[in-house]
Amino acid sequence: MKTRSYTKWLFVLPAVIVVAALFIYPIFSSLFFSMTSKNLIRPRYSFLGLKNYKDILSDPKFWAAFLNSLKWTVYSLLGQILVGFTAALALNRVKLFKGMYKTLLIIPWAFPSIVIAFSWTWILNGVYGILPNLLVKWKIYETAPQFLTEKNLAFIVLVLINIWFGAPMIMVNVLSALQTVPQDQYEAAKIDGASALQSFQHITIPHIKLVMGLLVVLRTVWIFNNFDLIYLITGGGPAGSTQTVPLYAYEMGWGTKLLGKSSAVTVLLFIFLMSVCIIYFTIMNCWEREENK
Amino acid sequence: MRKKYFASLISHIYLLLLCFFAVFPLLWIIISSIKGKGELTGNPTAFLPKVVTLEYYRHVIFDLGFIVNIRNSVIISLATTGIAITISALAAYGIVRFFPKIGTVLSKVLVTTYIFPPILLAIPYSIVMAKLGLTNTRIGLVLVYLSFSIPYAVWLLVGFFKTVPIGIEEAAKIDGANKIQVFMQVVVPLVAPGIVATAIYTFINVWNEFLYSLILINDTSKMTVAVALRSLNGSEILDWGDMMAASTLVVVPSIIFFCLIQNKIAGGLSEGAVK
Repeated sequence: MKTRSYTKWLFVLPAVIVVAALFIYPIFSSLFFSMTSKNLIRPRYSFLGLKNYKDILSDPKFWAAFLNSLKWTVYSLLGQILVGFTAALALNRVKLFKGMYKTLLIIPWAFPSIVIAFSWTWILNGVYGILPNLLVKWKIYETAPQFLTEKNLAFIVLVLINIWFGAPMIMVNVLSALQTVPQDQYEAAKIDGASALQSFQHITIPHIKLVMGLLVVLRTVWIFNNFDLIYLITGGGPAGSTQTVPLYAYEMGWGTKLLGKSSAVTVLLFIFLMSVCIIYFTIMNCWEREENK
Repeated sequence: MRKKYFASLISHIYLLLLCFFAVFPLLWIIISSIKGKGELTGNPTAFLPKVVTLEYYRHVIFDLGFIVNIRNSVIISLATTGIAITISALAAYGIVRFFPKIGTVLSKVLVTTYIFPPILLAIPYSIVMAKLGLTNTRIGLVLVYLSFSIPYAVWLLVGFFKTVPIGIEEAAKIDGANKIQVFMQVVVPLVAPGIVATAIYTFINVWNEFLYSLILINDTSKMTVAVALRSLNGSEILDWGDMMAASTLVVVPSIIFFCLIQNKIAGGLSEGAVK
């Protein structure tokens, strides 16, 4: 009897140990260093208490980055859902070429962030890029637009690139959720004289609500934490107009070498995301309870 | 009837439009990478190349030593995938068979690991790796990569292991097989396609990773493809042809693998997560 419960634990133990070592240790380590003057290069550091946090919370640059992060997340998320959702609905409707469409549409998902950055900076390049040159050729612009170095444009372009990258993931998951909706319910609704919009509202939405909810949580966190895309495409510029919290933290830790302060930024980021997730999950639990009624 | 026809026509037009946007960057980097010298800057709006040449590829792979970075990435990705899948398969099976209660909250555990900002983890990782003398080593990077590989792999695999009927295992047990034997000889072969798909997905994610590689590796000979590409951009002579050739070399394997497993991974979220 004893050996039995022993092997049972052996299965999950390696994963538990690795995940604990790679997640629980770092969070405590970060909490500790966030209260010190830890430097990337110098070995000595001293204890500062909450000074790092006070400094950051009174830094206007931090708040600018936080606002950028919020905008970046909300716009990207809404765009990804809009494109991904409509694409899934369209795919669910067509029969001809469905497989081909799906394969072509998921291609952006497989792109490494560095190649996303290279391909789009090449397409949008202010001197040799195909898009600015075409726009001039077609007489839409007089001089080549500087998509990535002009303050107002850069942020929008980044969000659009992020939508391009993230929509396929939403599409694929919504599509497979749509396929779990029992078809006979639609037939029944039709017989009862329900319009397409009504059956969408009362049959489709309730069936895919939970999957959508989870998708939104995962995407929110992922987009908020995203570092690569912005770092590689604009580096936070021009003039800090695309700097988000992860870039601010990186700049502090590896630019000005203040690892302690950088840790404090990341801890604040973590606390914020945790609060957002708790709210999301509370809402989703309510949905689940409603469904089980 | 006519209304239905119209709706499907609109769907086709919309999907074609989206396909164009989805595919264009890939098409454009490939086309740019095979154009002749001077064409890229000489005539930016020409779509097709006048001369087709693989000169940029030769230059990137041999003269700039990109082949070393490809080798690094292959080694690191294979090692991470091997370790992550072994650990995750055991854990996923353990959860499905012995701890089904954890299975129901697993999506929340996964989201919890997602909340940890990579930039938060990067700081302690770099401190610990420096202490262990693992900065600038492949081993260090493999260890760090397990942080995002294992949670996601466990989650995907739980979905696959759930499909194995317990009856088959009971039969094997009656024949005198112990738990490990049942797992290795009965269960693993049954979910092999799922395990392979998860392994490929893990491989792609590691192959594509950027931030940790940027922070932990600064020796050119140890760099992964993603960071080596980045340094290509930072080098003195910015040659778009080289950059496009190198990008193609990095992105094409990812896309091919991804298309192979798309149907296996696609349902993952809706099947594994909510139930």
